[in-house]
This record gives sequence, structure tokens and C-alpha cells, in this order.
Amino acid sequence: MNTTATRQAPPSAGQLPSTIRSGAGHWLRSLHRMPVRPQTGARQWAPMMAVAQVFMGAGMAVMYGFFYPEVDEVTALYIATGTPTLALIPLGLLMLPESVNQQRLEGTFDFIWSLPAPRTAQATSTFLLYTPLSLPGMVLSLVVVTLLCGVQLSVSLLIVPAVLLCALMAVSVGFGMALAISNPMVVSVITSALTFVVLLFSPIVYPPSHLPGWLFAVHQALPFYTMAVVIRAGLSVGLASDLTQSFLVLGAWTVAGWAMTGWGIGRRR
Amino acid sequence: MTTVTVPYAPIVVRGGPAYWLGGYRTMLRWQLASLRVWLPALTVIQVLFGAGMVLGIGLLFEDISPAAALYVSSGVPVINLLVIGLILGPQLVADQKAQGSYDFLQALPVPRTTTAAAWYTVSLVGALPGVVVALLAAQLRYGITFTVSRALVAAVLLTAFTGTMLGYALGHAMSNPMATRMIASLLSFVLVGFTPILFPPEQLPGWLAALNWWFPFRHMAVIVRDALAPEMVADAPISYLVVAVWGVGCAVIAAWAVGRRR
Repeated sequence: MNTTATRQAPPSAGQLPSTIRSGAGHWLRSLHRMPVRPQTGARQWAPMMAVAQVFMGAGMAVMYGFFYPEVDEVTALYIATGTPTLALIPLGLLMLPESVNQQRLEGTFDFIWSLPAPRTAQATSTFLLYTPLSLPGMVLSLVVVTLLCGVQLSVSLLIVPAVLLCALMAVSVGFGMALAISNPMVVSVITSALTFVVLLFSPIVYPPSHLPGWLFAVHQALPFYTMAVVIRAGLSVGLASDLTQSFLVLGAWTVAGWAMTGWGIGRRR
Repeated sequence: MTTVTVPYAPIVVRGGPAYWLGGYRTMLRWQLASLRVWLPALTVIQVLFGAGMVLGIGLLFEDISPAAALYVSSGVPVINLLVIGLILGPQLVADQKAQGSYDFLQALPVPRTTTAAAWYTVSLVGALPGVVVALLAAQLRYGITFTVSRALVAAVLLTAFTGTMLGYALGHAMSNPMATRMIASLLSFVLVGFTPILFPPEQLPGWLAALNWWFPFRHMAVIVRDALAPEMVADAPISYLVVAVWGVGCAVIAAWAVGRRR
């Protein structure tokens, strides 16, 4: 015997219209609203970030100077032109992952991603907010170091795309890493190890000739030395080479950061 | 009317060396147990830090001079000795205060000096692997042979003592955990870059070098260096004195902070 199941249509009176908002207009509106949401807490964080950047940028540059018996002109130029790189790294690659960690530990992480806005708009707003936010601290530490070291910088227009790309790269990779790795302990270990690698084992404030060949080869594919190259090229003449390659490497890391972010916000748990 | 005689219970305040030793053993076990997750990680960090600093600072130079290499290699162990007692210790106490377990720990029925002694032991033992690896790395990388003298034991014990007591005083005497944490993390920067531990004091600006003379860190480096490479140091006794005075002074402040009634 055959049973035929017929689906009964619900009475049209009680039906709610399906309103999943979408489209470019909704996305842009969400993007516009996102930076003011409490999650970023940008207002209370911004001064602390600038202080941390000046410490890591200018403070470290002063510190490096103490290690040399005599700071000659080339060494001083390397230190001064490496400072903006040092100042850009902590915000994106250290503090942003730590703040995501904090959200995970406090339990606000899930709440934020459940907000009725496209997640891509939320992520984009993070990038758009933190990239310019990392600039004042960087400029400040560059000014401090230039005054202290007394070096003559020759600034070219190249510095604008270089700094913007570096800041965006650091924010993207830091955010992507924090989203893709769901264990806050692992993220903490990575950021601490990064600090050490960046401050001592990356040719940012010293020429790459100081490194053993294999380590330099590794650094050509990592974003730290390449950051230093493009920023140095915008601040001085004749110190930097492999400029195109460095821009490409940084661009690739930026895209990789976006991919990690996309994967991190898209997966189901 | 009947009278009930209650047996007289004498109040016994326990004391004496045997009781103290018992308390020390208990507190040592207590602290090792409470750090059981952290201690292996901490040892690994100390070892990596020791070797990493010795190798990494060499990279700042095109060709590091023997004198600079010797400064770095004999200075890194000093920082190793200070990491747990001076940097981590105050932050642990600050955490206890923030979490509310501080008063409970203070109420444990052991002499409070045993807690301090046990903590000193932990911070000393936790530092030693890092010290050894840093010295070995220096030997391999720069070909430095250290003349290890018997004074090394005294220098290491005293450096770790003063560092731990300074950290103990910071953690216990300051009431604001946030401020304690700030100072501790600031100190880690100061130790590496703004005190003449890893480089000679002549490389600092004059005022900073003069200021450093009044703090114990420079003198800690002098006494450890005196034990490892005596030819580098001219006046070790005065440095022993300065470090010892700081150690005792901080111990007194810590004792006051731990012993006061609130």
C-alpha cells in the first residue's frame, strides 16, 4: 500500500517574511557600524598602543645603540631606519592576537561573531581600524630616534605605500593567526617567540650580512626582513635591495592573513 | 550546684629548627606543586633565552670582538638568575592578590620565612639549567673558556638571593597588583638594555652609568663576571657589598610587608 505524504502549506496569514539581509548596501552599513562596537575598545586601547609602540620602537633603538662600543654612521642609519619596522610589529603581530586571546578567555569572542553583521565586514573593519591606528606610534618613535641618533634621512614617497602595506600585513597576519589557531596558549607561545625572533634574529636593525646564509635565506620569505627592506627604501638611499621581491612577499603574507581570517571566521565548530 | 572542671589546654606555639625545616619542606613541595604546569615550560624558556641571547646578540655585530662576546656571555647567566625571582615572582604574588588566594597562603600554619626560603630555592634551581646552557653556548660559539672558581657559588647564590628578595619586596609591599606587574615587565627591559649587564658601563651615557652604580644589577654582573673571568673585573669586593646590602634591605622590607597586620 502506498502512502502519499503531502506537505501542507502553512496558512499564509502567519508566515513571516524571510529577511536575511544581504547585499552590498547591508555589508557597507555593517562595515560603517563595526568600528564603534565595544569589542575593539579602541578608545581605551589607543593610548596604550602608542606607548607600547614607542617603547618597542624608540626604546629598543636606544637599547641597540648601547650594545655597540662605538656607533658609527652606518650603524646609526641602520638602527634609525629599522625603528619604524620595530614599532609596527607589536600592534599587529603581538597585541592584536593577545586581545583576541583575551576575548576567548573572557568568553566575549563568540558573542562578537554572533552580532548580526556579515563576518567579512567585521574582519574588514578590524583591518581598517588597526592599520591607521598603528601609524602615530610609528611616526613618533621615528622622530624620537632621528633626533637621538642625529642621522640624516632622505624620505621618498615610497614610504607611504611601504608603511601602509607593512601595517596592513602585520594586522592581517596577527588577526588571521589569532582566529585560525583556536588555542590561546599556542597563540601566546607564538607571539612570545616572535618577539624574540624579531628583536634578535631578524636583520632589521643590522645588515643581513651578519646572518649565516641559511638564516638569511629563510628571512627572505618571512615578513620581518622584507618589512625592514621596504621601509628602509623609503627612508634612505642605497641601503635596500630586492625591493620588488620584498613588496611581493609582504603582499603574499597579507593575502595569507586574509585567507587565515576567512577560514577562521567561516568554519563551524 | 555542680562544678565541672575543664581540662586546661595549654596554648603551644610551635617553634624550633626542626619545625622550621618541616615547614620549609612543606612549602617547597607546595610551590613545586603549584608551579607543576609552569616549571617545565619555564625551564625550557630559560634555556632558550640563555642560548638565544648569547647567539642573538652576536648577530648585531659584523664581527663581534672578544671583549664584547665575553661581556654578553658572562652577562646572560645573570639575567637567567633574575628571571624567576625578580620578574616572575612579583607577578605571581600580584596574581594571588588579584585572585584572592593571597590571604589564604599567608594563613598557612608555617613560619613565613619558610615560604620565602622555599621560593628562593625554586627560583635558584629553576635558573640553573639556563645558566649552564648559556655558558655552554658561549663556549661553542665564541670559543670562550671560563675559569670557574669557587667564588662562582657565592656569586650565584648572592645574585639569586638579592634578585629574589627584591622581587619578594616588590610583590608583597606594593598593594596594587597592576603597578607590580607594570614594574616587573619594565624591569625585564631595563635588565637587558639599560643596565651594564650585557655590555660595559662605558657604553651607557654618563648619567645612566652613574645611576646604575646605586642599583644592584650592575654589581651582580660584576661579581658573576669576577667568578667567571677574573681578568675583567677590578673591584669585586665593593660590588659584593652593594649586592649584599640590597639583598638584606629588600629582605627587611619584605619581612615588614609580610609580617604587618592589616
